[in-house]
Amino acid sequence: MNFEPTIISFLCNWCSYTGADLAGTARMKYAPNIRIIRLMCSGRVDPTFVLESFKKGADGVLICGCHPGDCHYHEGNYKCLRRYHFLKKYITQLGIEPERLHLEWISASEGKQFAELINSFTETIRELGPSKIKNVIETYT
Amino acid sequence: MEEIRIGVYVCWCGTNISKMVDVEDVAREIETLPYVVVARDYKYMCSDPGQDLIINDIKKHKLNRIVVSACSPRIHELTFRKALENAGLNPYMFEMANIREHVSWVHTSREDATKKAKALVAGAVSRVRWHNSLDKRFVEINPATLIIGGGISGISAALEIADSGKQVYLIEKTGQLGGFAAKIDLSSPFMYSAPQMINPKIDKIFKHPQITVFLNTQVEEMSGYYGNFTTKIKTEEDHEVELKFGNIILAIGLSTFDPSVIENYKYGKIPDVITSLEFEQYLISGKILRKDGSVPKNVAIIHCVGSRNSNYHDYCSRLCCKNALKYSNLIRAAIPDANIFELYSDMRAMGDGCEELYSATSRKNVMFLMFDQKNGMPDIREASSDDNCKMVIEMDEKLSGERVEIPADLVILMVAIEAQKEAKKLAQAIGISMCGNQFFIERHPKLDPVATTTDGVYIVGSCQAPKGIPHSVAQARAATARILARINVGHVEVEAATAKVNEDICCGCQTCISICPYSAISLDEEKQVSVVNEVLCKGCGTCCSACPNGAIRAQHFTDTQILSQIDGLLEKSLQLQEGLL
Repeated sequence: MNFEPTIISFLCNWCSYTGADLAGTARMKYAPNIRIIRLMCSGRVDPTFVLESFKKGADGVLICGCHPGDCHYHEGNYKCLRRYHFLKKYITQLGIEPERLHLEWISASEGKQFAELINSFTETIRELGPSKIKNVIETYT
Repeated sequence: MEEIRIGVYVCWCGTNISKMVDVEDVAREIETLPYVVVARDYKYMCSDPGQDLIINDIKKHKLNRIVVSACSPRIHELTFRKALENAGLNPYMFEMANIREHVSWVHTSREDATKKAKALVAGAVSRVRWHNSLDKRFVEINPATLIIGGGISGISAALEIADSGKQVYLIEKTGQLGGFAAKIDLSSPFMYSAPQMINPKIDKIFKHPQITVFLNTQVEEMSGYYGNFTTKIKTEEDHEVELKFGNIILAIGLSTFDPSVIENYKYGKIPDVITSLEFEQYLISGKILRKDGSVPKNVAIIHCVGSRNSNYHDYCSRLCCKNALKYSNLIRAAIPDANIFELYSDMRAMGDGCEELYSATSRKNVMFLMFDQKNGMPDIREASSDDNCKMVIEMDEKLSGERVEIPADLVILMVAIEAQKEAKKLAQAIGISMCGNQFFIERHPKLDPVATTTDGVYIVGSCQAPKGIPHSVAQARAATARILARINVGHVEVEAATAKVNEDICCGCQTCISICPYSAISLDEEKQVSVVNEVLCKGCGTCCSACPNGAIRAQHFTDTQILSQIDGLLEKSLQLQEGLL
């Protein structure tokens, strides 16, 4: 049986979630591995959300926000960007491949880009194989 | 502690969801989850009987949390929140799982789609358990309206609002009102005189006691929120003025494509190749003449210049075909023996009276020649001295399949309609979204076509997409109806899901104060803790994620709620995956 990854995705309400809705309205097809969680702003993505996702068994985490300059709350996406760089280093130290976490800007009109992103990110995670961190945590706790 | 009792409703959406998701299976499986008292599936949850199903269950089963698994919450979250209210439940005790836009419409395997739907609903169930009641909050609405753009859309909206006795601030970046409609002579297809339509309205605007007009003025920044916006503008006389208003209408209109980038057309190189906008000036002056003063014997009109071509704009500019037909008629009337050629790539004269204009034009000895946007596009060159014309246009005629040469003395390029250059800056200043072509994007393309994702901000006319006068006026009046209805109520509901500080945990480090984009947080000097101003807070939650102590709660998006959603999603996903092995 081929490995099918489980991916958690945090989308901001105003741009990216709407972009994902547009992909649906336009009946674009993409891989079914993604599980979307809606937040008002990518600035709300608390580092613990990402860590908890990996801890509970996610093989990949995808964060999407508005393009720079387009944030509904002016600058939440920049706050998210800073936390993203921090998280990339942090998860690497924990033994999670940094490629398992990805940030992308998706606007409300980029349904096509969203669908393509889900396919390419799913493929990246599929190639990486299952995340081992959940088992590691279970072994040592 | 009250007992948690959750009701789950899985929508078929006709066949939209049920075709790809086994909704009955989803409901059956979700009913086994902890705290779930009832789980049902139904054809259309958003319909009245669907909502009644929820309302009756709330009463019958004493439910205190509801999950609806259906379309996007961006479409029906408010519908269901109202249903909860009708049943006497706080509207925030509700969560939606999007299994249409994010599942049934985008996946191709019924098995995968059903599994994903189960996981999403499980996540919502796990989250809703931790929901709290939130109180609705209202602020008074400022009855004044700011309108940016003084074209036909802005003018129509301004008069409509001002005539009801409310204040309007009308801002126009140029030195005169009228916009594009003031630059044309006759409007297609019914040939009404545009100045006759628009000039009396402009007079009325300037005389209206409820309208203040600012010419040569641009809006650079905007602060505040729905019901109470503020902007500072610099007037013509260089005075700084602060304006306060409750709603904003964006009516900044359109701009036109610069055809000099299409080399084939030699615009800017051959003087008698002109744009449709320049030709309107010829018509207003009453003379159709070449630059050397002679009367053109051969006139060619080229369609889709910059439109419907992947090198420039993919979209159809919508107005050019009917305007080109108008030109043929006017040229035929002015120069009865002229040879008139319409070079088109598809005739799209749709709308009231346009098809009739097309057939009337085709009976007036106008030659229609079709070209392909990819191969054999028209190519204009200056004629040699033996030719009996000034220019020659060579193209592959699509219907006959032949390469043809067309004589021309005057060439009119039907240039594409583009968004205004300043649209992006304005969108960022006000906080609304744009589509890929720099037009403003509406809240919902079908159900909410003049509102934007920012409450209190409306878009009307061609700044949303190319459109003619009747549609622009209709949109302007639609927006004013929305605004006047709101002003009539007197107050607006503002975000209830704001941030809240737990004073017992806050250490007064002020990290939140430095990152709040709305300056909504301040320090209580006495207690040395942060305090959130609920009127200014918009509930983005950035402060909550930055607080090192976890002292700030982003209400309705709390850590517990999101972490539980993650738990629910993953637990169900992994269970289903393992079940397969």
